[in-house]
Amino acid sequence: MEELEGRRALVTGGAQGLGRATAELLVARGARVMLADVDADAAEAAASEIGGEVAHAVRCDVTSAEEVAGAVEAAKEALGGLDTLVSNAGVEVAKPLVEHTEEEYDRLMAINVKGVWLGTKLATPALAESGRGAIVNMASVAGIGGAPLLGVYCASKAAVIQLTRVAAVELRDSGIRVNAVCPSFVGGDMVARMVEAFDDALPMSFDEAVAAKQARLGTAEEVAEMVAFLVSDDAAFVTGAHYVLDGGLTASGL
Amino acid sequence: MGVLDDKVAVVTGAARGIGRAVAEAYAGEGATVVVSDLDGESAARVADALGGGASSTACDVTDEEAVASLMDGAIERHGRLDVMVANAGVGRPRPLLEMDLEEWRSVTSVNLDGVFLCTRHAGRVMSAAGGGVIVNMCSITAFSGFPMLAHYAAAKAGVRSLTQTAAVELRDAGVRVNCVCPGFVGTDMVESSKPQFEEMLGLEDFDAAIEAKQGRYGTAEEVARLAVFLASERSAFSTGGAFTLDGGATASLL
Repeated sequence: MEELEGRRALVTGGAQGLGRATAELLVARGARVMLADVDADAAEAAASEIGGEVAHAVRCDVTSAEEVAGAVEAAKEALGGLDTLVSNAGVEVAKPLVEHTEEEYDRLMAINVKGVWLGTKLATPALAESGRGAIVNMASVAGIGGAPLLGVYCASKAAVIQLTRVAAVELRDSGIRVNAVCPSFVGGDMVARMVEAFDDALPMSFDEAVAAKQARLGTAEEVAEMVAFLVSDDAAFVTGAHYVLDGGLTASGL
Repeated sequence: MGVLDDKVAVVTGAARGIGRAVAEAYAGEGATVVVSDLDGESAARVADALGGGASSTACDVTDEEAVASLMDGAIERHGRLDVMVANAGVGRPRPLLEMDLEEWRSVTSVNLDGVFLCTRHAGRVMSAAGGGVIVNMCSITAFSGFPMLAHYAAAKAGVRSLTQTAAVELRDAGVRVNCVCPGFVGTDMVESSKPQFEEMLGLEDFDAAIEAKQGRYGTAEEVARLAVFLASERSAFSTGGAFTLDGGATASLL
């Protein structure tokens, strides 16, 4: 039997990047998924590529309670219930704190923090009903240590870790486990967008910094593996934790 | 097919408890296990029960020559050493003011010196061979004080720190080093300590205190599943990490 046979997962930000890779791995391990993304066309395309029987798509702006509730309902209907939520949708702004605009701050916090809170809040009834609920929130090592240019992003990811902890404690008696995953820099569009800003701001190039701090970029598949572990029954005693995958970045004081 | 097919793994303290569960889970995932324990006869019985080419070695992890020969012996016997789990540990609750230096050293020598020796010698052998994975058995007592466990908790905090430094130093040699931090797990060690905790902490029921904090006791098998994940390629980007499984205990301030 596949490790995640029977799992029914809602993945936000599921059209691309870490969300898409996670959805693909969950499906490969036997789960069925609902891809929720603000880009509905991309979500549809991803779902049909993964496979129409096992992957579905719904438009979802995670900053809207109405749309998150709609995504949960769509998942329940398409999958016959919901036992897994991967709150992955997130955005970054890479510039000095004093140069962030108010609009950038509000948008980032709304997507990265409010979106995770709404997902937890609105999926909880269905997850509790399943009797085997699991939530994995996409945090970051930026929620553990400060990183230049990522001030608001860092604050948002620290908030995600804290939401994860409290949700884990509050939802334990409902049989819902809540954990976070903390990757460092992972190869993909988000990092590609930030390279230039880091090259300008750091004393070394971005590539050199990555090589020195984390040996290499992580991969979306590696993040997906950690999510898959955390939602699986293998992690039945794991809740309130934030699991790091960062090539040693946060282990080093140098 | 298992996620540890063709791997050779040394597990210390593997005659009982968590170590034995790790040895069994590794064998179940296809690894050839070297079952090591201070109690060589029990280790041999566990190895016999595992089958699959498992062998056993009596080893006092506080004896550097014995540890060096444990790691070298794995290579001589099985041709390689891919995974080493430094699990051997002891715990005897004692109030700080009643803890003499001998008692302190009896715990820290096994729980910290032993992990240092195992990390050093497994790291030596793995570095020479081009890589490997080290999993150190830590504890949530690495992150906070715990009454009656001054020696144990200090040693575990040391293991957490040692894991970080080892991860950074050994990264270029292809050796990953992580630690597993369980909450209270239903093992002989915990069972035998309950009366002392209850008496010295004035608790009527230690189990009730644990249930309030972490929902229930963890199981050795659950710790073993995390140790499988960390030993496998699925966690290839994680090194220097501390992976808690504690039912939410460390997530809560209360």
